[in-house]
Amino acid sequence: MNERILTTLRALRQSALEKGADATFLIHEENSYLMRFANSAISLNTNEHLVRLEITAYDGKKRASYGMITDLNQLNAMREGLDTAIAMVAHAMPLDYQPTVPVYTETFIDESGYDLALAQLSNAEKLAYFNAAVAHLETDDIRLSGIFSCGANIMAMIGTRSEHLQYFASTDAQVSIVLAHATLKWEVTAEQSAWRKEDLNPAALHRDLALLLDHYHHDTPQQIPLGAYDVVFGPAAIAEMVSFMGWIGFNGGLMKRGFSFLSEEQIGQKIFSDQITLQDDPGRLETYPFKRDFLGLPRRSFSLFEKGIFQAFTWYQDDADEFGAPASGHTVPHTSLSLAGGRQEVATLAELLALPREKDLLYIPFLHYMNIVNPSKALVTGTSRFGALLLKADGSVVVPYNVRLTQSLLEIFGEKVAWASRQTLPYNTSQSYGARNPTAVVVPAFLLVRDLEISHSNSSY
Amino acid sequence: MLQQIQQQIKRLKARGATYVDTRWYPYEKTDALTMWNGNLKNAASASESGAGIRVLYKGAWGFSAASDLADLAGLYDQAFDNAAAAAERVSFPVRLAEKDALQAQFASPCQVNPFDVPLAEKVAFLKEMDARLNQEGVFQRISDATFVRKQIIFVDSEGSEIEKTITEVFFTLQVAGLDEQGEMHERKFRLGRRGESRGWESIDREYLSEQAERIVREMNQVRTAPQCPKEERSVILLPGIMYLQTHETIGHALELDRILGYELAYAGGSFVTLEDFGRLRYGSPRLTARADATLPNSPGSFGYDDDGVPAQDNLLIDKGLLVGAITGRQMVEEANSKARRAIFKGSGGANRATAFYRVPIERMTNINIDAGQDGSLDDIIRNTEKGLMVDGDRSWSIGSNREQFHFGTEIGWLVDEGRVTGVVKNSTYKGDTLKFWNSLSAVGDSSTWEVRFIENCGKGQPNQIMQLGHGVPVCRFDHVTIGE
Repeated sequence: MNERILTTLRALRQSALEKGADATFLIHEENSYLMRFANSAISLNTNEHLVRLEITAYDGKKRASYGMITDLNQLNAMREGLDTAIAMVAHAMPLDYQPTVPVYTETFIDESGYDLALAQLSNAEKLAYFNAAVAHLETDDIRLSGIFSCGANIMAMIGTRSEHLQYFASTDAQVSIVLAHATLKWEVTAEQSAWRKEDLNPAALHRDLALLLDHYHHDTPQQIPLGAYDVVFGPAAIAEMVSFMGWIGFNGGLMKRGFSFLSEEQIGQKIFSDQITLQDDPGRLETYPFKRDFLGLPRRSFSLFEKGIFQAFTWYQDDADEFGAPASGHTVPHTSLSLAGGRQEVATLAELLALPREKDLLYIPFLHYMNIVNPSKALVTGTSRFGALLLKADGSVVVPYNVRLTQSLLEIFGEKVAWASRQTLPYNTSQSYGARNPTAVVVPAFLLVRDLEISHSNSSY
Repeated sequence: MLQQIQQQIKRLKARGATYVDTRWYPYEKTDALTMWNGNLKNAASASESGAGIRVLYKGAWGFSAASDLADLAGLYDQAFDNAAAAAERVSFPVRLAEKDALQAQFASPCQVNPFDVPLAEKVAFLKEMDARLNQEGVFQRISDATFVRKQIIFVDSEGSEIEKTITEVFFTLQVAGLDEQGEMHERKFRLGRRGESRGWESIDREYLSEQAERIVREMNQVRTAPQCPKEERSVILLPGIMYLQTHETIGHALELDRILGYELAYAGGSFVTLEDFGRLRYGSPRLTARADATLPNSPGSFGYDDDGVPAQDNLLIDKGLLVGAITGRQMVEEANSKARRAIFKGSGGANRATAFYRVPIERMTNINIDAGQDGSLDDIIRNTEKGLMVDGDRSWSIGSNREQFHFGTEIGWLVDEGRVTGVVKNSTYKGDTLKFWNSLSAVGDSSTWEVRFIENCGKGQPNQIMQLGHGVPVCRFDHVTIGE
């Protein structure tokens, strides 16, 4: 545990109390490392050590915040930040509702997701991992890209209304390996997510990459006809679509503002296939969970869809305050979404290819640049990328050029779902914009959906 | 501090580094205010300072950054060690294109420092805008203002020392409303380039009030409009969507690091190859595009890039022919070497980082389309037999090599036999990049040309957002699939 962070928070709280201010303080410390590969070389090797302080000042229905990137030696500068926040709140406009101010009733320390071995992973170990994952797969034409992103993250908070603190420490790793043909421009990928060093397994990535390369290297890509296909989505595509549901689906605040395909009347109604059970499960360490929210509420498994039936909206506290909704423990940087596995025994790409099939199956591992066309209808669009395959009914495999899918999530997760893999895995959805915020979604390895329309089919890469 | 930076750079050179640079941010201040349905949901100030160190050693980059500069030597050593580790796997040793060593300063044009304006005045202005938007049919209304001021000091081992002070003002109005079926429709206004400077003076009450009225009116038209048909038509892109079309299918496609495969792990590549420069018919002869970082008063104009190269105005597409790319020092050397010809005469001055703690990469400057000779917007409409005129970005999705795209827009107007016949909702269009730009059949004159700002272009790993501009006219494209 970083005692200096706790000491600093207590000192800031004391300063606020002395000034008669009502305030909360959040310190975020990140040690981020990223080894990036391109053209079979390490194109960039970075590390950043950053300490952020977020101060929120309250005055009745008024609220203002001041954030800074600083260091723990700069207590005076932090106190000046507090002065700024206090000055700002005096000029802020009252909200038309009462914002809840956090009151931590007990000190809560959670380091269960912190792995010292991962935090101390060396440059040499990361390079060795990559070398093992692509051993004998690179050629003059087939070139390596990818990232090994890892880091240690601490978030700690205190408020003037209580002497108690909350402290969360975690470690994370996101590995993404791309092998791309230098001139033909096709690309295949394999990825891994880990919260501890022992979960890193380059052999698994090597296995998938070798299989995909075998097809991409030897088969001529084809422009496949437009029309309806039985589509098998891989974990990246499933995780991306599930994540979108957290935005335009079960987010209570956005629902109230009209940016959702769900409504309050639909709670208890069947929305998706009965093969879709989705939870926010902070018990899954592989999702880098928060076991308390930033208001101090304990976070437990929270059901979103049970056999396709919509269970509940999630609420950020500020939205709950504004719309008079009950707090649901979702005032966190990310939730811990977990889509339950199904009945189909298929865990790996090799097993998927070996699966007996009566119709052609279009395997889409990854949806590139997905965006929301119409939130009210859950209509999204995206393009296949990274190793799509057309698994023909006769057992052969065709490499397709990329295709575009413009479909509603209500269709994709609705009655057209044929099966989901029994086996699940965490897919790392972390973005590294701004502060480090490792996220992962647990999803079935594969999901088969019948009769989805392909609206655009490329004639090349 | 400067003296210490110089000493550390010299020390790493003595250790064997080929090149070292430092971007020291003494300060970067941000004020962000959001009023949503009359509630000041966000009143946030932020400040940050720190330094980012870039080291080139045995042909490989290492980077290290910290907000805590107490152990400056340790920070430089970490960057050096990262480069040494990267040097274990080098395929094409990094070389940097020649540049002059410069001692220079740049300040973006700003008459009234927005940080001198009291918070109460800013809040009062947002409240005024919120009241303007609060009209019948409006279900959600948002007024958002962001002000940024930062000082960047760049020092490198080649003798450059450049100081930049950049001020940014971004302002957005947004309304949303429900149609009879309960579907949400949005209309936004983002403040673009007006006049020669962008301090607090760009907050022009009268102009912004007019825009508030316009977006409410247009959103209400969409709410009661019929569905966009699914068919083939000409599309007329107004600047409010033309900027994004340019951004996604010219700008990103012509970033040289993407072309060379340096973004394949995330953002993607480009359909463009090195062989295409000087040969590829990218668009119709009406299309001339440029990367112009010299345009006064735009986020895409920054004086000197983060390689210390002066801002430039470079042609990308000349009357339809591909002639240039968005470049920095490293990539032009590699591209020329791999192409075995001098495609690029030097760095295009487009290497930028979003913050001290990120490494510079090729970013768009102002990627502009030259105004054409097909007259005003009225002229273009009059000369369109069957079209869909669109404005406002609602969704955008582009293939990983930028080879195809799908855009959803906030509003569409059907054009039949030379006149606007009505508004449609849920307007979309899609296409293949080269086919689309080669179908460019009309380019509006200077009366249609506007500079739009982008404040959140994402790229790179670790991810970076960047601010830039697009000067674009009204353009028409033929035989486009709409409504899908």
